[in-house]
Amino acid sequence: MIQQIKEKAKELLDSGAVSCVIGYERASDGLTARPLFVYEAEDIDRLIFDETCTHNLVKYLLNRKDEPTAIVVKPCDARALNVLLGEKQLRRENVFIIGVTCPGVVKTGWNKKGDELEARCQVCTQHTPPIYDFLVGEPIEEPSPPITFSDVTDLEGKSAAERASFWAEQFERCIRCYACRDVCPGCYCTECQVEQLDPEWVSIRFTPEENLMWHVMRAFHLAGRCIGCNECERVCPVNIPLSLLNRKLEQEVSALFDFQAGLADDARAPLATFKKDEKLGIGEWHE
Amino acid sequence: MARIIAKKDLASWLQELLKGHTIIAPTSVGEFTMFRPITSPEEIAFDFDNTALSPKEWFFPKAESLITQDNGDKEPMPQVIDKLVIFGIRPCDAKGLTVLDKALHGTPFDALYSQRRDRAILIGVACSKPGPQCFCTTMGSAPDDASNVDIMLTEVDDGYIVETVTKKGQELMANVPLSESESPPPQVAPPAVIEGTTEAMTESMAERYWSRLADRCLHCHICAFVCPTCYCTQTRDYDSQGTVEQLRCWYSCQAQGFTCIAGNTLNPTKADRMRHRFYHKLPYFTDQLGSGYATCVGCGRCVTACPVNIDIREVIADTKQRNPLYRSN
Amino acid sequence: MAIDYQPKVVGFLCNWCSYAGADIAGISRITYPPNIRIIRVPCSARVNALFIVKCFQQGADGVLVAGCHPGDCHYSEGNYHARRRFALLRELLDFLGIEKERFWLEWVSASEGKRFSRLVSAFTDELSRMGPRNT
Repeated sequence: MIQQIKEKAKELLDSGAVSCVIGYERASDGLTARPLFVYEAEDIDRLIFDETCTHNLVKYLLNRKDEPTAIVVKPCDARALNVLLGEKQLRRENVFIIGVTCPGVVKTGWNKKGDELEARCQVCTQHTPPIYDFLVGEPIEEPSPPITFSDVTDLEGKSAAERASFWAEQFERCIRCYACRDVCPGCYCTECQVEQLDPEWVSIRFTPEENLMWHVMRAFHLAGRCIGCNECERVCPVNIPLSLLNRKLEQEVSALFDFQAGLADDARAPLATFKKDEKLGIGEWHE
Repeated sequence: MARIIAKKDLASWLQELLKGHTIIAPTSVGEFTMFRPITSPEEIAFDFDNTALSPKEWFFPKAESLITQDNGDKEPMPQVIDKLVIFGIRPCDAKGLTVLDKALHGTPFDALYSQRRDRAILIGVACSKPGPQCFCTTMGSAPDDASNVDIMLTEVDDGYIVETVTKKGQELMANVPLSESESPPPQVAPPAVIEGTTEAMTESMAERYWSRLADRCLHCHICAFVCPTCYCTQTRDYDSQGTVEQLRCWYSCQAQGFTCIAGNTLNPTKADRMRHRFYHKLPYFTDQLGSGYATCVGCGRCVTACPVNIDIREVIADTKQRNPLYRSN
Repeated sequence: MAIDYQPKVVGFLCNWCSYAGADIAGISRITYPPNIRIIRVPCSARVNALFIVKCFQQGADGVLVAGCHPGDCHYSEGNYHARRRFALLRELLDFLGIEKERFWLEWVSASEGKRFSRLVSAFTDELSRMGPRNT
């Protein structure tokens, strides 16, 4: 599989079809992976693809909107690409998509490689990218379990007071590094609302209350757009279970609007549209 | 013959100390170890690589009020803990505090930081097993370097070897029962030194090197926040319900818009900011003040925490590379 | 809970319908609990999700957003967007420990003074039963 990726990368670079191929290489721990930008043919041999390639590389395309670029994407990453194409953030003709069929990636950290598949991979029902220009890898049969959100329903089962204290404990650790925002392909505002000074939505105090405001802001801006790559949770230096927030919204978006982000490159996000007669369980008070 | 304290004597001594001091020590917080105040010696974690964040936040807090003005009807919040003990600080982090001292405890000085530094007592614990990310030896320290703590403890079979480095340390341990030990000091394999010529980095590394390295940078704040020697901040004024406050918080030179002054950003691209970071950590201070003044202490937290594996050890090694990509001459 | 607990309620009322409806209630001397502090906005869609969270952070026990009935929005579509937005936000807030029952989105037209007063009374009663929000 990696041989096919390398050959395609060489072909694209040599012909000048792209000026850069974004893929993965071995990290400095000799065990896990990290992003690689290949500009010259001599660097192609550094490319790898294996079960440690967990990163979502689509974010980097946003820095290269006018440069023809090839990118290696797993199925979840390809959904992020669809979202960006649908929101007109990328020119389709400037992206060459090398899609990879993916059986799942393992949990990794620096110098740490787990045996178990990542949580999102265990419930994945999309092993072939929904969009690609060149497909690599053996076809993988899709399991057809229903989409499960057991991590979300577990927390929903607790009382409101327990939930409040759970999140207060999580947000107490938040150091507002914004890595969750910076790694997410869906977060691309040139001035993030959290850094706006006039008005100032969230202060720079590191209290659980302010941190909660920040995380509501982030999760809500991704409502109906998040494709569940869980990069936000992976990059968090203090291990806040951020994917719970995004997946809760994913569950509600699916239940209320029958919508999943990133399956097509021309879909409109649910918060950008409406249906006149829909019943959403709100605004139905009667005297 | 070394003087040692038995483990149970250490626990009871710390319990005694707790009566009159605030003790900050590494404790388990979920799957991490963080420096937090303890209420009993049982809470102290000993078996870990290094803490997620350095103890610098106990001297240089994440968010600090510089000036507060109110109607005078509120009790002022205490900003300096009077009797503070930092237990379990590693040599690299202790060296990190001396780097912060150059910025915050010299001329001019930060009043709150200086008070905290002067009042705190540092009880170091030597590293028995450097982690794969450690490179303190490259940056002029060592797993058993006791030069920047008041007391250094080194673990052996029957307890801890005690070295009282400063007068403060001697006074604190004045009445503690110590015994002579038969155990030899442990053999610790120090991290291998990385060969590099960082002093000439500003002339030798091409712009293209930084631009390629910065390609994968996400411009988050992680490296600056976990680093024991970073001290960049942002300041904002708040005015709510009769209280005016000037709040100073940690910030990162990697953030977009850092050093945006009068509409002009001094380091507009990721490559510029990345180069600035590594120059700051490696050659800037050594160029000006001589070797021994590097601001990186080799703790390796940025290496483990960076989500895209930007590794300062590779940057140091790359200064010796002959690849034309890296050289500007 | 103290017998004299008075929930703090914040209300975002759209200028064209629900604010006018509240006004009618006032003019007609229809009483409703004074706990609600009203903020006039041009449309229910003007209400940013973060306004709601901020209210709770600042000590509100309940937040009400009131707009024109669906189909009657002064700006044609605002309330449809608000309906989707707040349906999602209510779920997220509940997940974070701020109960669903503390955040209402309802529709009040310019002539519905009585409805407004009954709405606010029902909301305030519910909040009194629930007690203060434990922060």
